[in-house]
Amino acid sequence: MRRVSVDIGGTFTDCFVVWDGKYIEAKALTTHHNLALGFNEALGKACHVLELDQEDILSAVDSVRYATTLGTNALIEHKGPKIGMLVTAGFEATVPLSRARGYGEGLDNLGQQDMPNAQRPDPLVLPHMICGVRERVDFQGVLVMPLDEDDVRVQIRTLVDKGAEIIVVALVNAVVSPVHEQRIEEILLEEYPSHLLGAIPVILSHQVAGRKGEYVRATSAIVDGYLHSTMYYALSALEQNLRAHRYEKPMLVIHNSGGMAQLNSTDALQTIHSGPVSGIGASEHLAMQAGLGNVVATDMGGTSYDIGIVVDGGIKHYDFNPVIDRWLVSVPMVHLVTLGAGGGSIASYDRMYDTVKCGPQSAGSDPGPACYDRGGMRPTVTDADLLLGYLDPKNYAGGSIPLNPRRASAAIEDALCDDLDCSVVEAALLIREKVDDNMANGLFTELRARGYDPKDFTMLAYGGNGPLHCCGIAQNLNIDKILAPPLSSVFSAVGAGNMHQLHIHEQSLYMVLYDSNTRHIFDDYERFNSIVAELREQGTQDLLRQGIAKEDICHNLELDLRYGNQLVQTTAVIPKHELHGPADVLAIIAQFSNDYGKRFGEGSQAPEAGIRINTIRVAAFVRHETVQFEDIKPVAPELRTAPPKPGSTRKCYFVGHEGAFETPVWSRAAIEPGMQIPGPAIIASDVTTFLVNPGWNFVAAKQGASWFLRA
Amino acid sequence: MSEMNTPVAAKMPSTEEIALIKKFLSDTTLFLGPDPEIMQNHDLMPRTEDEERAVGKVSDAHIIAKIRDRIQSGCDEGYEMVEQMGAAPGAKWGDVITGVYSASGDLAIASAGGVLIFSALVHHPIKFIIKNWMNDPTVGVREGDGFIHNDSRYGNVHNTDQSMIVPIFHEGKLLCWVASTVHEGENGAIEPGGMPSMAESPSDEGLKMSPFKVVENYQIKRDILTFLQNSVREPKLQYEDMKVKLFACLRIKQRIEETLKTDGPEALVSTLRLTMENVRAEVKRRVSQWPDMTVRTYIIQDSTLRENCVVKINCKLTKTGDRLIFDFRGSSPEFTNRATNTIVAGLKGMLAQVFLCYVWPDLPRGQAAFAPIEVITDPHSIVNCSYDAPNSQSLMSIFTGFTAGQHAVAKFLYSCPEKYTKVHAPTFNMINTFIWGGVSQHGETLGNLCADLNGMGAGATVDRDGEHALAPIFATMADIGEQELNEEEVPFLQLVSKKMTRDAIAPGKYRGGQGYTMMVATKDSEQWGFMTTAQGAKIPPIQGLFGGYACGCYPLSKVKGVDVYDVLMNEPHKFKHSIEELMNERPFDGASYTTHHMGMGFEISKRGELFMISQGAGAGYGDLLERDPAGVIKDIEEGLISPGVAERLYKVKFDPATLSINHEATAAARDEERRARVARGVPFKDFVKTWNKPKPPAHLQYFGCWGDDVGTLYVGSPDITRDANVPKPNYMRHPKDVRIEELEARLAQLGALAEEKQ
Repeated sequence: MRRVSVDIGGTFTDCFVVWDGKYIEAKALTTHHNLALGFNEALGKACHVLELDQEDILSAVDSVRYATTLGTNALIEHKGPKIGMLVTAGFEATVPLSRARGYGEGLDNLGQQDMPNAQRPDPLVLPHMICGVRERVDFQGVLVMPLDEDDVRVQIRTLVDKGAEIIVVALVNAVVSPVHEQRIEEILLEEYPSHLLGAIPVILSHQVAGRKGEYVRATSAIVDGYLHSTMYYALSALEQNLRAHRYEKPMLVIHNSGGMAQLNSTDALQTIHSGPVSGIGASEHLAMQAGLGNVVATDMGGTSYDIGIVVDGGIKHYDFNPVIDRWLVSVPMVHLVTLGAGGGSIASYDRMYDTVKCGPQSAGSDPGPACYDRGGMRPTVTDADLLLGYLDPKNYAGGSIPLNPRRASAAIEDALCDDLDCSVVEAALLIREKVDDNMANGLFTELRARGYDPKDFTMLAYGGNGPLHCCGIAQNLNIDKILAPPLSSVFSAVGAGNMHQLHIHEQSLYMVLYDSNTRHIFDDYERFNSIVAELREQGTQDLLRQGIAKEDICHNLELDLRYGNQLVQTTAVIPKHELHGPADVLAIIAQFSNDYGKRFGEGSQAPEAGIRINTIRVAAFVRHETVQFEDIKPVAPELRTAPPKPGSTRKCYFVGHEGAFETPVWSRAAIEPGMQIPGPAIIASDVTTFLVNPGWNFVAAKQGASWFLRA
Repeated sequence: MSEMNTPVAAKMPSTEEIALIKKFLSDTTLFLGPDPEIMQNHDLMPRTEDEERAVGKVSDAHIIAKIRDRIQSGCDEGYEMVEQMGAAPGAKWGDVITGVYSASGDLAIASAGGVLIFSALVHHPIKFIIKNWMNDPTVGVREGDGFIHNDSRYGNVHNTDQSMIVPIFHEGKLLCWVASTVHEGENGAIEPGGMPSMAESPSDEGLKMSPFKVVENYQIKRDILTFLQNSVREPKLQYEDMKVKLFACLRIKQRIEETLKTDGPEALVSTLRLTMENVRAEVKRRVSQWPDMTVRTYIIQDSTLRENCVVKINCKLTKTGDRLIFDFRGSSPEFTNRATNTIVAGLKGMLAQVFLCYVWPDLPRGQAAFAPIEVITDPHSIVNCSYDAPNSQSLMSIFTGFTAGQHAVAKFLYSCPEKYTKVHAPTFNMINTFIWGGVSQHGETLGNLCADLNGMGAGATVDRDGEHALAPIFATMADIGEQELNEEEVPFLQLVSKKMTRDAIAPGKYRGGQGYTMMVATKDSEQWGFMTTAQGAKIPPIQGLFGGYACGCYPLSKVKGVDVYDVLMNEPHKFKHSIEELMNERPFDGASYTTHHMGMGFEISKRGELFMISQGAGAGYGDLLERDPAGVIKDIEEGLISPGVAERLYKVKFDPATLSINHEATAAARDEERRARVARGVPFKDFVKTWNKPKPPAHLQYFGCWGDDVGTLYVGSPDITRDANVPKPNYMRHPKDVRIEELEARLAQLGALAEEKQ
């Protein structure tokens, strides 16, 4: 296999090249003014390893795939066009009011509770750039008020006069009857024809999100419109760069749905968070190949702790209304939770409870932890890790950041020791324990809320601080196996290399499977079957357009179901795509009951209150060849070998253990597959530190995979 | 159940005689009503022997913190389950709470999300269960049991909220309780939706569940469930949410059991106890930092929801040392046959909310945060009503009580050296929304309300304007919902759903966050109706701060005698998307256009009739002449204020076509207004002479104290008073009787009644 996959992050562009059984990792700084430059540099490094030039590689690979956080960054930095918006008259304040709770979306708990400080984020569409148009349809798509076309023309003109560079149209119930949105697009094209210089792009909400909810659909369309030109130019520049280097196949872009598509089948909203989602994709791939069973993927960096779930059997966990930056949107996105815990999390004295608080505030990278010596005065997790002996002050981050233990010590002493009446080391242990507890609690809630028991999971730990904290977190959760995955420094790029082309189409509807008032069981099979067929066809057409052969196209059918008038919708994957009788309907009901019981507790099901389908969703996809890893499982205990002599030792302190341990330190490069090191131990690499707590064993496996196994 | 006067004893009984009397009375109790000993006390129960022992064994602050975090995440998980699985609209928008209570019934740890007021109220029914059912051989409290409760007189905001309470045992010993509470809406009252303003006695208020057992062996008892379903309009909702609350409690129980396994029962008991004690001590410490002083304020309610009148909520807040005392004496006497009364625990619950969301948002949620703060009220007053008084619209009094507290506290915060959030003007406090009920387009009987009550405008702060429609005063992160989803379930459309109401403002240097217009019309049902339950149509229910103004007044408007859906299809140009235009232009021929106070009793609506209201604005902060002219122009651009009103109020001069500001002319206009203010001013003693009146006016029904004498309460007339400490009935006449009498008087004047037989 020959393949190039890339993850363009805010700081680094990671590149993963598979070339005839060789796996090459390469990194370069992201070049925001022209992403192609950073890509070329990273790929150049891989070329150097392979002793080939860029054209040789690009002309011979089966695909080039991109994941990127570019969109997320553009949102955070508020770089986008001036949007004009047309909504149903009477709904002009829907977006500015953001369902009231919009002030707190994306904030931590304190930010959500502090009402006098509550403030909505700066809007992507200014309130005076939103105009109502006179029209209305009801929940079934029945016309209530015809579209006033003269009014539409006036409102468009008003927005253009106010400087609109793009028009977003989001009308009430447009997903059940898009006629008015489509007509507005026609009018806009009549007024501003696309071949003329004054042409204005238009985004229709029903094309961006297929589900009901006028606010979330509008924000989806706004975010899409806001990022459209940024993403278009950035990705087009990448594509042109590829063409200039003899790459002739379609460029593929990773979607946050966990799939990918060509540029002409990608909207900007789908690219957001595609980097972290690719990391979860890589975890899923590893889990399948290595037979790891259930996996919880954790990425601990400097400011945050990302959690993703991969469950044996292929059940995907999606967020259908994820929060992107501070915006609640409607797009099926692979479920990803971010906790405010990382190396930069600031520790402080908790006066009320006479203990240590940790986070959610972070020192970030500037000024960073006190030990970075860049002006940070408040103690952080990294300061504690340094004083506990886990980090080598001279070789942190491959020696690129010298650490100053005296600064760390002074920060901890000033902030904590007097109040807690303890030594610096004792305070550092408390910080360590607290941050690990916070992450463990977040992880526990995340898994338990979905009906899973953490002890049935293998933890995947990556990111700069993942392998440093994983034992402490797993200990709290009764998790016995942790894998620091191979190729972890370009893990998201690895994930991008294993994605499949995928398109999701869905339809909101009011379909009652069991009516508790009339005790009637659904029998309009034709309605159900025709909707499913239509959604399958839409997905098929998407893939055919990208040159996929019809026989290679597969479909998954998912139904969002609920009991009575609940908010929660449980997604059931339905193997049979057509209904032909009551047995088929009852099979769906039984499967829903089973899934619901697993999640909320057996007996919590309430079919007596009625059962409804809220959304029918079809994923159309094609399976591509995936990157094959060697067997990365740890060898059997009796086959494990002893490590070479450690390079050095350091005095380390561990939570729950009295006094210091003289802890051996190895270089990761010196540890061969099959070697086992009992904790306490430190294994250092250029990108991370593997900390093996007492009671755990470190076992090296093939391709650089590292296991932590409870002794 | 009226309280009985204790007869004067001829001679003092001996200790043995007292014991005998006590036993007799205890053995012969007719009815276990709400226990004043429980209901009047909001402080923590004293440490029990078990707690003492547990604290002695496990008191390491770091271990306690670890366990607390674990229990906290269990509560959050339970909360999320209820929010997700709940069927009530209230559950979906976060009108929910879950918590862990000590064995004595105090709330130690509550979910981070949800409605805080519940956290100050559910400990009462648990304490009732402990006191009355624990050792009762016919009831008992056993592993696997669950108790249900909704009657506010036993501890609740109003009867529309239902709790599920589950005891947690360890090796046969009761260790703690878990509970989950949801605003359910429908409860079988005389009006749908659970908050009847027509209730004239508790008998009109629907289900009145004193705490009783409804779950055994973790199973809901079907016979009792059926009885409850049979007592309400939405049997489906009753069933679904009882189950949901039970399973949320069981999920929290699992988390507690894991802690018991790893850390043991003493660690758990000690964690719950010390958590509460630490928070209580911290509150004392923070209070002690405030300046010693007294602030007086009041809020006026302008109706009972049945008739216009003037009802005073009087508040004096005193801080001395580490004591903080809310004194609500002098507030209106209770209404014997109006539903706007509250039990005192409800008032305390909302005052707790002032502190947990608006003063010390960093404090953990639980009962302890308000435990050391004192509250004084008159007996049988509108803020401390008796058992016999209806209270289904208690929100009217607890919300205005909240605002009185919020307004007074702001003045302390201004002078407090250590602040935990910004000094701010009061938030809008009324539930300006539509309550609805009837038979839906799907044939289901429903009764509930629009989530728009969650869109209350925020008050301005010391450095910026208030946010529009931010959150209800009783919850954070609440949701005003998505109309597309609502319309699937109810047979009416919001033809105007969210459009800022122009000129409905609270001006100031920083203006309050504004409300938005809602217009509803029934479409697909012949059995559907609406009600509204709010005050503030004539007198603003909030006050501005430091020179800022209160909000405007928000009446209910109706357009009848029209099917607006016909108009929309056939003459769409006639329909306007603002109340202002519809009511002023009256575009539909033959229709009637009327305005009303916001206490509309449940009214069946015909297809296409319009009901129109607006959410309210939070209060303004500071002198409006100091408002940045650019902010005024921005408000005009965003449709918040009309150019004429902007110029008149803020004295800003601008070109109406381009909105460019004439700064010189503005400065001159403002200077002129300042001089005019001085000219209008009079010395304080002259002002007092002309302003003060010895008694309330005779032409308005006035309730509450007048002036500084809080010992005398006026009861609807300058000539009718009551001693604040001596309860006395306060009946209001039926508004229809009043109206009939007026009309009869007019008929009599015309001689038309001469022949009629009386």
